[in-house]
Amino acid sequence: MTTATVPVTITINGEPRELGVAPSRTLLDVLRNEAGLTGTKKGCDVGDCGACTVLLDDVPVNSCLVLAVEANGRRVTTIEGIAPDPDRLHPLQENFMALGASQCGFCTPGIIVMAKALLDRNPNPTEEEIRFGLAGNICRCTGYTKIVEAIQVTARQMAADAGKPA
Amino acid sequence: MTSVIGKSVKRTDTLGKVTGGAVYAGDVVLPGMLHGKTKRATVAHARIESIDVGKALALPGVKAILTHADVPRVLHYGSPHPRSASVTQDQYILDTKVRYYGEGVAAVAATSEEIAELACELIEVAYEPLPAVLTVEDALKPGAPSIHDVGPGGNLVLDPFVITRGDPEKGFAEADLIVEGEYGMGRPTPAYMEPNVCVCQWDPLGKLTIWTSTQSPFMVRGTLAEVLGLPLNKVRVLVDHMGGGFGAKQDLFQHEFLCALLAQRTRRPVRMEFTRKETFLGGRTRHPGTVWIRQGFRRDGTITAREARVVFNSGAYGSHGPGVTAVGTAALTSLYRCENVRLEGRCVYTNTPIAGAFRGYGVVQTYYALDILMDEAAETLGMDPAALKLLNAVREGDIAPSNHPITGHGLEDCIRRGIEETGWAARGSRPPAKQTGRLRRGWGMGCEMHGSSAYPGIKEQGNAVVRMNEDGSVTLMTGTTGLGTGAHTALAQITAEELGVKFEDVAVVHGDTDVVPWDIGAFASHTTFMAGRACQMAAAQVKAKVLARAADRLEVSAADLDIRDSVITVKGVPGMSMTVRDAIAAEKGIPAPQLLGEGSYHPTKSYSFAAHFVEVEVDTETGQVSVLQVVPVHEIGKIIHPIAAAGQIEGGIQQGIGHTLSEDFVVDQRDGRPLNASFVDYKMPLAMDMPPIRTIILETAPSDGGPFGAKGVGEDPIIAIGPAIANAIYDAIGVRFRHYPITPEQILAALADKDEAQAA
Repeated sequence: MTTATVPVTITINGEPRELGVAPSRTLLDVLRNEAGLTGTKKGCDVGDCGACTVLLDDVPVNSCLVLAVEANGRRVTTIEGIAPDPDRLHPLQENFMALGASQCGFCTPGIIVMAKALLDRNPNPTEEEIRFGLAGNICRCTGYTKIVEAIQVTARQMAADAGKPA
Repeated sequence: MTSVIGKSVKRTDTLGKVTGGAVYAGDVVLPGMLHGKTKRATVAHARIESIDVGKALALPGVKAILTHADVPRVLHYGSPHPRSASVTQDQYILDTKVRYYGEGVAAVAATSEEIAELACELIEVAYEPLPAVLTVEDALKPGAPSIHDVGPGGNLVLDPFVITRGDPEKGFAEADLIVEGEYGMGRPTPAYMEPNVCVCQWDPLGKLTIWTSTQSPFMVRGTLAEVLGLPLNKVRVLVDHMGGGFGAKQDLFQHEFLCALLAQRTRRPVRMEFTRKETFLGGRTRHPGTVWIRQGFRRDGTITAREARVVFNSGAYGSHGPGVTAVGTAALTSLYRCENVRLEGRCVYTNTPIAGAFRGYGVVQTYYALDILMDEAAETLGMDPAALKLLNAVREGDIAPSNHPITGHGLEDCIRRGIEETGWAARGSRPPAKQTGRLRRGWGMGCEMHGSSAYPGIKEQGNAVVRMNEDGSVTLMTGTTGLGTGAHTALAQITAEELGVKFEDVAVVHGDTDVVPWDIGAFASHTTFMAGRACQMAAAQVKAKVLARAADRLEVSAADLDIRDSVITVKGVPGMSMTVRDAIAAEKGIPAPQLLGEGSYHPTKSYSFAAHFVEVEVDTETGQVSVLQVVPVHEIGKIIHPIAAAGQIEGGIQQGIGHTLSEDFVVDQRDGRPLNASFVDYKMPLAMDMPPIRTIILETAPSDGGPFGAKGVGEDPIIAIGPAIANAIYDAIGVRFRHYPITPEQILAALADKDEAQAA
C-alpha cells in the first residue's frame, strides 16, 4: 500500500522545511515523525486533550486536527521554538520549572504553547481568563493550581520588563 | 551550607519537559522500525473458534501476525510483584478465550501504523459467545458462568480476606447507638496523559531491549524474562520520562509481550502505541464495588465496634485485585480507633475492563464509606462531625492496618489545624436542610491515612548506588522511575545533604535496568521514603570513605571531620580544612580507590495522615456541584521539596474531585461494551472546574525509617477529598449520597424526592 505524497513547505520554528507528506497525514504526525520534533505530544489524536497544541500563524491549534497539507506555506511554532534564542528560555518555561507547573510533563508543551498564545493576545489576563484559556488542555497531575500561578507570574514579569527602559 | 532538605530546588526533570527535549518511550525511533497494532475483541465473553489471518497477511506492508497459536502459552501475573501474595496468576499473552470487550486477540506488525490498523480489520475472528457476566451480583450467583479456571472458583479472585480484632459482639453489645450503611463506588480510571507505548528491539545475541512507559521497569524485565524464557541479563528495560501512571502502569500489558514477540519474529524493531480509546479499553481502572459498614458508638461518640464487608469488582483479570482488597479492607481497622473489628473483603471477576492499581489502592473506596458513615453517626449523636472524628482519631501507639504501632499524632494535628484554618466552628447556618434559594453552600471534611511503602504486604526494598567521581561530583544511580512526582530530585537532595555536597553536584542516573540497582517500581508512596533512605545509606558510606582519606592527609581522627558544601572541616580547629576534591585526589600519581556506596533499605512501616476541608455550592436548578475551596492539611513527617509535595496534593485533589462528581467508565449492561472511552465522554475536572486549594503540610510525626523523618505523600491526597465533598453536599442540601460519582441528575432527583416527602 503506497500513498502518493504532496510536496509542502512549512516554516517550522522559523526554518522553512520542504517535506513530502501524504494528504491524510496530520500536522502532529508530520511534526513528530517527519520533522523530528517530538516535543509536541499525542495524548488522544482526536482534539480532546490539547497535548498537541502548536501555533499555526500564531493561532493555537490542535495539530492532530490539522492536516499537514493545510499548513503549506504557513508558519508553525512548537514547544521547541518557544524560547527566544538557544541560550535563553521563554519566561513561561522558566516559571513552569520554578513553580512546579510541570509534573509528568506530557501536557506541558501544549499548555506552554497555549499560554504563550494567551499572553500574546492578552498580556494581563485575569485568573478566570487564564482558566478559560486552558479549557482545552487536560492536565491530570497538577490540579492546575501551579500552572495558573506560573502564567500569572509570567504575565506580571513580562509587564514589568516591558515597562523597563531597554 | 544551609540544608537542601525542605528547599524547592529546581527539579532535575523539568528542563526537558518545558523545552520539548524530554524523551518519552513514544518518542523513540529506530532504523527499520515497524508499527504494531492489537486486534481487539468486540465481545465481552466468548471462546475463539477460529482466527483467519489470510486476508490480513496478504496486505502489502504486513510483516507478521500473531494469534494465540503463535505465542508462548505461559500463565503469568498481570501485576508482577515478586515476593508477594498480592497478585494472581491468571493471564496468557493471548488466550483462546475472551474475557472482556477490547481484550487483545491478535497482533500485527506492518510498515506503517495505518497498514497495521487496516490489517487488524481484515483479521476474521469467529467467536462462540458465552454469557457475559457484567455485575458482581451476577458473578456471585450460584451456577454463574465461570470466567476463569484458576482461583478459588465461584468467580472469586481470591478466598475472602478476613480480619478480626478484639471482640466485635461485645463491642456492639456495649454500644448506645449502632449506625450502618452500604456505599457504592463507580469506576474511575487513571486517565494518564501518555497512552501506553513501547518499542522493542532484539540484538543478534538474542537480547531484548524494550523502551516502555512503565512505573516498574524491573517488574517488566522479570515477567518478560519469565514468560519468554530468558535470563534476566537478556532483557533490558529503558524508561526515561513517562507521562503519568498513577498506579496503573505497574501492570504488564498485552502489547508489551506482543511487541517483543513481533520484533523477534520480524527481526526488526517494532513500536506499539495505544490510541486513547485503547488506553480506556485495555488499561486499568479503579475497582468499582460496594462497602457495607456497621459501627457501634457510646453516647459520648466513642466507637465500640466496627464490622464491614467490602466487595470489589476486579473486572476480567485479577491484576492488583488481591492487594487492593487486602489494603482497602485492612484500612478499616484504623483511621478511627476501634478495638473490636470484623472485616471481610472479597474480589470478584466479571466480564468488564480490568481493575488494577490506582492511587489510593482500595482505601479510596473504604474510607469514602467510613467517613460518610461517621458524619451520619455525628448527626444522630448530635455532635459536630469534625469533633467526632477528632475524638476517635488514630494516635501514637495504636495498631495500624499493617499491625505496626502508629508513631505520633498526625491525624489529630491535621484535624485541629483544619478546624482552625477554616473557622470550622463558625462555618454557617445549621441545620443545613433549612437553606433555601437556588444556590446552597455547605462545608464537609474527611480524613485519611496511608502507608509509606506496601510493606508488609510486599516485601519491599529500596536500593541506591552513590559514586563520587574524581572531581568530587557525585553520581546517584537509582532504579526508581520518574513518574512526574519529582522523586528523583528528592533523592538527589537527600544524597547531597547526607554527603555534604551541593545539590547541583549530584547527577541522577535512572531508567536502564542494565545499569541501575534493582527497584520494585514507583508506587505505594514509597520512592522518597524507601529509595530515599537507601540513598542516605549509600551517601553515608561514600562520606565515610572520603573522610577516612581526609583524616590520613590531615592527620586527625575521621570522627572529628565533617563535610559541608564539599569542604571538609575539623571540629574545634577553625581554619583547618580541605576540599573534598583535594582529599580524594591522586597521591603520588595513584588515584583514589573507587568511592562507591550502596544502600539497601527494608522499610519499616510509617503512615502519613490528612484531613481535607471542602466548601461546595449546589445549584438546585441544574444539580451542578461546584467545589468552591479546598483546605487540605497533610502530615508527612518531613518535607523534602515543598513545591513537589504540594503538587502531589493538588493533583490528587483534582482526581478525587473527578471521582466524586463526574468520572465513571461505564459498560453497557447488555453486552459489556464500554460506553465512554474518550476524554469527551469521560469527564474529568479541568482548569475551569478546579477550585483554589490552600495546602497546609505539617511535620509533626516524623518517621524513624524515612530519610530525615520523611514519609510518603503520593497516595494520600486522593482519599479524603471524596467523603469531604459528599459530606459538604449533605451540609448544603440535606441529602445524603452513599455512592460516587454524585451526578447532577441524581442531585435533582433527590431534591425532587425530598420536596415530595416534605409536601406529603
